[in-house]
Amino acid sequence: MTKFRLFFAVSLVVMLAVLLVLPACTTKETTVTATATATKTATATVTTTASPPPATTAAPKEVTLYIGGTFSLTGAYAEDTAAVLAGFQDYAKYVNENKKMAPWRTEAFPANVKLEVLWRDDELNPQKALSIYEELKGKGMLVYRISASQTAMALMNLLNEDRIGATSMAAGPYLLSPPKTIFTNYPLYTDEMGAIANWFLDNWKKAGNTAKPRVAYLTADSASGRSIDIPEMEAYLTKIGYEFAGKQFVPMVPTAPPTTQLSWLKDNKVNLAMGFMINPGSQPTIKEAVRLGMGTNQAYKITFGFAAPSHLAVFAPAMGTLGDGVVVAGSYPPMDHKNLAGIKLYDQLQAKYHADKPVTHIMYLAGLVEGMIQTEALRLAMLKVAPDKLKPVDVLEYGFYQIKNLSTGDLTPPLSFGPSDVEGAKEMRIDQVQNGKVVLLGNYKILGIYKHE
Amino acid sequence: MSLPSGVFQQSYGQDMAIFRTRTHWILLLAFLVLLFAMPVYSSDRILTILTIMGISIISVLGLNILTGYCGQISLGHAGFMAVGGYVSAVLTAKLGLSFWVALPCAGLGAGLVGIIFGLPSLKIKGFYLIMATVAAHFIIIWVILQFQGITGGADGLSVPRPVIGSLVIKSKASYFYLVMIITCLAVYLAKNIVRTRAGRAFVAIRDNDLAAEVMGVNLWVYKLTAFFIGCVFAGVSGALLVHYYAFASTDTFPFMNSVWYLGMLIVGGMGSTAGVIFGTVFLKLLDEAVTVFGPMLAAIFPAIAAQAAASLGLIMRGLVIILFLIFEPRGLVHRWELIKSYYRRWPFSY
Repeated sequence: MTKFRLFFAVSLVVMLAVLLVLPACTTKETTVTATATATKTATATVTTTASPPPATTAAPKEVTLYIGGTFSLTGAYAEDTAAVLAGFQDYAKYVNENKKMAPWRTEAFPANVKLEVLWRDDELNPQKALSIYEELKGKGMLVYRISASQTAMALMNLLNEDRIGATSMAAGPYLLSPPKTIFTNYPLYTDEMGAIANWFLDNWKKAGNTAKPRVAYLTADSASGRSIDIPEMEAYLTKIGYEFAGKQFVPMVPTAPPTTQLSWLKDNKVNLAMGFMINPGSQPTIKEAVRLGMGTNQAYKITFGFAAPSHLAVFAPAMGTLGDGVVVAGSYPPMDHKNLAGIKLYDQLQAKYHADKPVTHIMYLAGLVEGMIQTEALRLAMLKVAPDKLKPVDVLEYGFYQIKNLSTGDLTPPLSFGPSDVEGAKEMRIDQVQNGKVVLLGNYKILGIYKHE
Repeated sequence: MSLPSGVFQQSYGQDMAIFRTRTHWILLLAFLVLLFAMPVYSSDRILTILTIMGISIISVLGLNILTGYCGQISLGHAGFMAVGGYVSAVLTAKLGLSFWVALPCAGLGAGLVGIIFGLPSLKIKGFYLIMATVAAHFIIIWVILQFQGITGGADGLSVPRPVIGSLVIKSKASYFYLVMIITCLAVYLAKNIVRTRAGRAFVAIRDNDLAAEVMGVNLWVYKLTAFFIGCVFAGVSGALLVHYYAFASTDTFPFMNSVWYLGMLIVGGMGSTAGVIFGTVFLKLLDEAVTVFGPMLAAIFPAIAAQAAASLGLIMRGLVIILFLIFEPRGLVHRWELIKSYYRRWPFSY
């Protein structure tokens, strides 16, 4: 037995040594260094008008390209994400049937290319997102998407190392330090807070107030909610003339009314409370605030301002006049703004694909916008590289980085991206609930409050 | 362990050996060769799944020592993983220390924090201890978020990849090897820990702590030792996880993971090292199956599309745990023993 054990140990060591060396010999280098990327990007010139893929004499080969990625269909964002997925799927159908990017655009989508949406539910679980990412990458996805901060943080370095461009409905500062390959279509939450602060201050001064307004964070106890709690944000608020009162955190989806946090705002004479909340958080919070007599039309005057995931298009119909005075920055336009090209496309898609049961959730528009960004990146990349030869890095460099002033039919401001510019919009809309309706207050420039590398 | 007919033990050493026949050794060799040959014939996806399984196995091994052997039920294991993950992240990213220094420090850090939160176990047990460990998870995450200057707070912390000499462990294959080697060592260690004096004391405490104390087992020492060892495993696992993501975030360690780790123990079989492996592999494969099955279900029933996939994973995992608790509370490892026994006795299995 002793001899056998010796034989076992020796053979194991030999085999392990061979196995460790073998993959190293066979591994293909697929990663492109940042330096190489920067150089290639600087030299890349892309024609933004419609032009065919590289000329070939034979009939173009039919190619299927994938859009989509990971969707958090389980958890706090389930409702939002289901609508995003529907938007993605309908946009892919629209492009396949019309071979056009959008009704208001002249560029054509290559006739021999079919779009297909690949998706998986990541359950907001970073470990699950990891294996989904590898699975979809293995299926040949050239672009990707992620749903939330949880999965964004887990995947952002991998996406960056693999040089795969991705879209996201999460917009935290971690995406910028340093800028990676995840592109957002609405502003960072800190910039949304900055816009609300500026809007409030303008009105405060116009009303003839001379004292400094007191501001506090009332934000979700999550990575997204806490992402506004950075020194730059506080410094900015103080600089423009606020007195910073402090911060209060509420659960992402409160299981009890946040009475303590709201009472704290009242006790500390806060005039503006702002933060990141999703609708299942903002609605019970505001209901409790009204019960406590807090709000723009209540005995205790206070304005609540939230980041875009607390969409007023969902909030206002559910809350009615109870929600009066609540402000949201960076959101998509409500679906009843029928004059906008993007909303016309929404109506067209609903009539065609969901005539019996329309998708009315505002995040459907986010799905359309993300679908537009991913498809535009693919289209631009196909101007340089044949569709069947495309690699993720091509789509990143000739696609995402070359997107300039992409029109989304006014669903968002025109979007532009680059290697150091992953925040697509350069301005944002601010809306308020007035008499139970969503009213546009104006467009505000992005301030770039978060200082990144 | 039952042995084939005609195999006799001639010494205490032979009787205590884990691998006692040539067949055992050959099977072990074959398994290890197959395992370590994976990167040669597997896709990145398979390697990712196996790597995550390996990391989970290390963590659940710790939970098995704490809960399966010592009977101290913990729902704070993801929190202890977070301690290990952040210790390693801060040591490597902020202080520039090597991963190889940070890894044992991660285990040690989590172990020490485990001792602190294990202190209530001297006074409370059962449901009350579960609540104390749940609190431990949230306290740990809260503390990490408060020390923003060190931990990066809610924004997290970028973490460097492990390095051996000039070789950066970055590819899927190289990280798979790293995790699998540590997993094999952890399995070996866990298997042996429970065969020591301390391991026997753990079992005595689990079965009847009063009787154990009467027999001379120092509850104070052994309960805290179980917490320390269990959390060391969790810390190492957490460190491996953050270096795999190359990023440390509190969201990497959701509370629900603690629940699923306990579920893995139930499915695999509590108080068994092999059960840990069975349970982890089973639930992780179920996860993967559900992920792929969800979109297929949505394609079959387009009217309910995304809703068909939503929560399918949670439902399936919950259902599996319920079914195991009802029909096979001793877990997959018991089924495995029955199969082996049947095979050995065949054709006289009656």
